[in-house]
Amino acid sequence: MMTMSNAYIDDFPAEAKVIRAAFYSSFFALALGGVFGVIQTLHRTGYYRFIDSADYYTVLTAHGVFLVISFTIFFLVGIFTWAVTTSLDRGVEDLRFTWGWYGLMAIGITLSGVAILAGFTDATDISASVLFTFYAPLQGHPMFYLGLVLFVVGTWLAGVDWFRSWWAWKGENPDERIPLPTFMVLTTMLMWYIATLGVAAAILLFLLPWSLGWIETVNPLLTRTLFWFFGHPVVYFWLMPAYMMWYVLLPKVSGGKLFSDPLARVVFVLFLILSVPTGIHHQYLDPGIAEGFKFIAMTNTMFLLLPSLLTAFTVVASMEHGARQRGGTGYFGWLKALPWRDPVFTGMALAGLMFAAAGFSGMVNAGMNINYLVHNTFWVVGHFHLTVGTAVALTFMAVTYWFLPQVTGKALWSRSVALGQVVLWFVGMTFMSNAMHRAGLLGVPRRTAEPQYDGFEFEAAVGSIGELQAQIALGGILLTLSLVLFFANVIGTGLNGRSDDLPANEYAGTLSGPEDAPLVLDNLKLWTAIAIVLVIFAYTFPLLSIVDRGGLFGPELNPFPVSIESVTLLAFAVEHLAVGALESLSLPGLLEVIR
Amino acid sequence: MNIHTYEKVWLIAALVLIVGFIATVTYGSVGLGIAMIDDSEETVEPGELGEDERFADPRVEQVGENEYEAYVVAQTFMFSPDPIEVPAGSEVTFYVTSRDVIHSFSVAGTNINTMVIPGEVATMTVEFDEPGEYGVVCNEYCGSGHHNMEGQLHVVEEDEFDMTELSVEADDEVETGDEATIDVAVENRMLEELETTVTLEIDGETFGEDVTVAGGETETTTFTVDTADLGEGDHDWTVTVDDYEDSGTLTVVDELEEEDDDDE
Ligand code: HEM
Ligand SMILES: [Cu+2]
Ligand SMILES: [Cu+2]
Repeated sequence: MMTMSNAYIDDFPAEAKVIRAAFYSSFFALALGGVFGVIQTLHRTGYYRFIDSADYYTVLTAHGVFLVISFTIFFLVGIFTWAVTTSLDRGVEDLRFTWGWYGLMAIGITLSGVAILAGFTDATDISASVLFTFYAPLQGHPMFYLGLVLFVVGTWLAGVDWFRSWWAWKGENPDERIPLPTFMVLTTMLMWYIATLGVAAAILLFLLPWSLGWIETVNPLLTRTLFWFFGHPVVYFWLMPAYMMWYVLLPKVSGGKLFSDPLARVVFVLFLILSVPTGIHHQYLDPGIAEGFKFIAMTNTMFLLLPSLLTAFTVVASMEHGARQRGGTGYFGWLKALPWRDPVFTGMALAGLMFAAAGFSGMVNAGMNINYLVHNTFWVVGHFHLTVGTAVALTFMAVTYWFLPQVTGKALWSRSVALGQVVLWFVGMTFMSNAMHRAGLLGVPRRTAEPQYDGFEFEAAVGSIGELQAQIALGGILLTLSLVLFFANVIGTGLNGRSDDLPANEYAGTLSGPEDAPLVLDNLKLWTAIAIVLVIFAYTFPLLSIVDRGGLFGPELNPFPVSIESVTLLAFAVEHLAVGALESLSLPGLLEVIR
Repeated sequence: MNIHTYEKVWLIAALVLIVGFIATVTYGSVGLGIAMIDDSEETVEPGELGEDERFADPRVEQVGENEYEAYVVAQTFMFSPDPIEVPAGSEVTFYVTSRDVIHSFSVAGTNINTMVIPGEVATMTVEFDEPGEYGVVCNEYCGSGHHNMEGQLHVVEEDEFDMTELSVEADDEVETGDEATIDVAVENRMLEELETTVTLEIDGETFGEDVTVAGGETETTTFTVDTADLGEGDHDWTVTVDDYEDSGTLTVVDELEEEDDDDE
């Protein structure tokens, strides 16, 4: 059959199939995660509780793992495969290898997912209600840890796949600059290799052998620190693909070009260098880690603002360029010339806007001293639903409307439903996240099935707890509706027939191209070496000190089976009833904490 | 590299902002002498807190005129002591550790907030100027009863605060004609001496005795009651020292049944 279209699937039909598989795995995880999300929203706020509060944590584990591990990472391996093949203009080196890493990821997440979901039934002993941070001595079933390992190894092999493509391409094009999308993929993967060493060490050396009973105990502070070694940079593993979309797709759908290729490279290099030596900022409140180490992490974290601030500039400048190409004029008037009816554009623009808001709450989190006010409160949940839950998730959903036709060869089912979907997400998240931030300031904790206590009440200076709960529940419902619209479009598109009238597979050109970028920017070895040195600098002493204090395997401690006898629970319930209700409190907020 | 002028301006502004943040936080955390949770405490064995001199008996202790130390243990799913009681106008250093998993000790709506990690002791010093009642929550997931984990922190008026402990040992049953004794031990855990009155009320009759208990000491007052005056039957008694009260019942019988009465 002759086809006029120049979509991705026409050039790379076999790769398009892998990308489709990755996307569908990602969307399946998104659907599950969304269902759990609304269940916990209604449970926490007290509007509708149909599960046992003890099961809330199984729901929360599933929500966290399915969304931030499976949804995000399956999606990004899809677009990274697209980016490498498209920008190098060559297919993968060995298709079996490509399916191999996809398969490994799929098996891995299935094992972990089953271990988590088995927590809902008493039919098996298997459970892993340990949340996505799995802090020891909370212990999950070995299958949970094993699955995570396989999944991560799958991503490592995916990286190998993309490096192979680049090496092969370089052999044929020795004097050319690395095309920008490939450059972004490679720097992101280098960062990811370094970052995942932490979680690999935590699981392979300690948690997995411990869950299998091969070692008796673990050092909770050590495994926790290794987790955050990975836990912060994983944030950039989600974010860098979203940034890539803002750099290579957003300018194009705005009708213009990327403002500066060199600056984009600088941004990704900065991420590679600075993402990992910051993880201790999640441990500002941990006893057993010296203040100086926390301070180093804070300094690095603040510098990590730089690439995001630069991105803000480039993104806005590129959008303005696009708008002016489309005839926009004036100081702010050009905004009106942007393609607001295009869901791909609007989704990404709204995601970027929310990310700017997230920047502010992020700066509060990063401040070592103010962090005490918000650490582990609902504020933090509000914050990361703006970052990963919107900047990343909404960008991914928006670009899906561009990618789906590219990898299926079918026209999008409905552009207006898509537009409604991205706007609804924005509105829902505005309600939910804003109220979560405010509740956090009152001290409402995160990760809690019933944030209602017997002995005291949270008191709001403005509004009331009831009003905040209502906004959170409303936001959660709007977000769920938005997801329904999203899946309607995915399914509707899948049911469409092949179209030969699809946009061509292209990404944005640049105003200032790679020829303006110093050659050293493409020296990946150099940047990797610097990144490793910074990691050694930031982590050697804290890790040595933790091992020195608590021992490699920590103190005598029993693993904590996450299910507890209902008898004990009953005893606690009775005890807490006996404490009785007390009158409400007025909270003065900041107290003077001194040495 | 070819950088647009606007881009340069933005870059410089961004760097100034970042350095500004670091400077502010540094001043806010180091300059003002505010302590961060750190590694200043030795580690402990979470399984042996029962033998630890600070944590075997979780409590508040006075260590200086307006200085107190609170030894707090977090465990699934409670804090002890609960409530924690301290006076207004004091400076309190908290030492918090866990017996099992990772918890937090977070005074709702304030910046008194720390992770509690088994094996480690978190410490922070707080000034309480005003009386007030706070909720304490655990904001780190610690198991399926995590949402039930709460405690209270009471900052009481300075002149209403004491660390007096009352314990009473009294006969349960005596034969008519014998004397019944009620031993009242008043412990004063404050540093200053305590002047107070111990009162015993039995059958509507009140006896009082003034006592002075030195700081850190215990004084025992013994009341002897003539059962002949009381007569056969049950007699309720109440011992009061300041705001503390203990009560019980004394039974006067005709003849004691033969049983090995264990009087410890
Ligand atoms: C329908 C949309 C969503 C709703 C209604 C929702 C709701 C919630 C709520 C209420 C919590 C807090 C639970 C607690 O701390 O007790 C939560 C936690 C979380 N959410 Fe969402 N969420 C949604 C979408 C997302 C998305 C798209 C992501 C990321 C891609 C995400 C990532 C997370 C993570 C990582 C947590 C923390 C899990 C933990 O503390 O272990 N959520 N979500
Ligand atoms: Cu982080
Ligand atoms: Cu808890």
